[in-house]
Amino acid sequence: MNSIFIKKYWFLWNSFAVSLIIMMIATSFTLNNVPGAANGTLKIRFINTANGKPVVLRDSVYSNVFGEQYQINKLKYYISNVSITNSNGKTNFSEDCHLIDAANEENIIEIPLQAGKYDKLKFLLGVDSIRNCSGAQTGALDPMNGMFWTWNSGYIMFKLEGNSTASTADLQRIEHHIGGYKGSDNVATVIQLDFNTAKNLEIKAGATTELVIETNLDNYWHGNAAIKIAELPMCMITGEPALKVAKNFTRLFSVKEIHQAP
Amino acid sequence: MKIRITIFVLITAVIFIALTGASNDDGYGIFNPKPIELKIPVGWPKPTANIFANNKLTEEGFRLGKKLFYDGKLSKDGEVSCASCHQQFAAFATFDHDLSHGVNNTLSTRNAPALYNLAWKSNLHWDGGINHIEVQPLSPLTAPNEMGETLENVINKLKKDTSYKRMFKAAFGDAEINSQRMLKALAQFTGTLISANSKYDKVKRGEAVFTPFEEKGYMVFKSKCASCHQEPLFSDFSFRNNGLPLNRFNDIGRQKITRKSSDSLKFLVPSLRNAQLTFPYMHDGRIYSIPQVIEHYRSGISTEQPTLDSSLKNRIQLTNLEKNQLVYFIYTLTDSSFTKDTRYTPDGINSVFNPGFDKH
Repeated sequence: MNSIFIKKYWFLWNSFAVSLIIMMIATSFTLNNVPGAANGTLKIRFINTANGKPVVLRDSVYSNVFGEQYQINKLKYYISNVSITNSNGKTNFSEDCHLIDAANEENIIEIPLQAGKYDKLKFLLGVDSIRNCSGAQTGALDPMNGMFWTWNSGYIMFKLEGNSTASTADLQRIEHHIGGYKGSDNVATVIQLDFNTAKNLEIKAGATTELVIETNLDNYWHGNAAIKIAELPMCMITGEPALKVAKNFTRLFSVKEIHQAP
Repeated sequence: MKIRITIFVLITAVIFIALTGASNDDGYGIFNPKPIELKIPVGWPKPTANIFANNKLTEEGFRLGKKLFYDGKLSKDGEVSCASCHQQFAAFATFDHDLSHGVNNTLSTRNAPALYNLAWKSNLHWDGGINHIEVQPLSPLTAPNEMGETLENVINKLKKDTSYKRMFKAAFGDAEINSQRMLKALAQFTGTLISANSKYDKVKRGEAVFTPFEEKGYMVFKSKCASCHQEPLFSDFSFRNNGLPLNRFNDIGRQKITRKSSDSLKFLVPSLRNAQLTFPYMHDGRIYSIPQVIEHYRSGISTEQPTLDSSLKNRIQLTNLEKNQLVYFIYTLTDSSFTKDTRYTPDGINSVFNPGFDKH
């Protein structure tokens, strides 16, 4: 009886199984398009600091190299096009865009990576030109995040708002909305960080390695260009003052710690 | 064998539906979008920018865009919709207003441009500050003297409305409401407003003939106006200073966007289609009638402005007769099949008030 049943419906079972396999393969293709076998995770944590302390919004008073005191009310910036290179020179690239916001409890970017040693990290501080002119975006680039200019299309790449006794603007405010993507107005800046070879960053299969990047606002005000609050309390358009501020972008970031996967 | 193949196909289909169709069953209706096409009128160039490259045009997306366009919810006080300042009977400009009304009895500082044939326009606004049709609504939505609302509030209001959930589902596959979907839907509506059926178009298609007076006007137009107001869209979409003095808002136009002094007082060349319905004219609505506009080009241009368009250095020489002929030609650009098209009116309204000015 049993064998007859199996025999009789053999084809039916067979086609059911074949269909299921086809479906599973199709599903797995859509769910997992990361090539390579042994994957681990790189967790990049951004920590914003000023005067050696973590940035706390609407709270601490910091001072810049010119002795100007300031408080921070908003600090947001885009990190995109993260690429990380392993010791064989092979690069993993992700064009995802992330909004780092000091109002978040933590700011973490997770990247699945093949196991191995990595020694270079590159990312764009800002949003590349294509995404500035491709219409309505979502996720980190949703205009709801307050990082899109409505009167002159384009993303604010870096936003710092606060107050300072040095500011000559209304209510002693600081409003730095640094943006611009067209040609010579482009402020999006490629940041490259090399890991100290002694503590090479290693990704292990099934484990998470954490990389802590410090964004040090002390370097926002000086280095490649002197940005005095008294002289530039407000910067909300593209062009010259924004470009000057952006000159210091390359000095904002450094590798603070690497927590190697066990 | 044939039966076996049929059974195989059926089982595959059943499993596929079971795996993928679950999202259809969420209480907000089904997702079965009907694609529509942007119809390019015969003899027109291809649109300069493919504004629908990442925004698949569907009947459902268009209908959602239309509902949003006519909905006061998008503004702070619930009263001002896109359609408040873009009225169909005025070819989607503001009828008889130099400036438009915003929330709290505010006034805008620029004349609301007519909306049609936007797929051929790569920069929007009088100063060209907007680089894509999808992001244009962000400006009027959030401007305190227009709709005065935050994007966040708009999305929250839409989320509380079940009819929107159904329409977002129908257009995008699930009931999620976000700013990107709202903006894409609005672009599906505004980007497919096509006006190409005026008497002029019918003459071009051999379906009508100009009167001798209109014909003379067309000749005048071709020799004196067409270099900027290029056929068939009646604009070359460049930015030019047409010799208007700086206004009380110190509106420097294109210079605000490019920061170049050479762009001072330059504004986007508007299309002349439906000009009969879009009065008053210019970026701030300072000129009330078409004859007065022509008079500006004949005698009013401030020729001492350094950025004045080179083609206007000697103003435009026209006789009184030519001026009148030109006015009559411009009247042939009125397209009442556009201003009466019920596809563009709110759902449930089957006719639209229309002064019916066409020369047919």
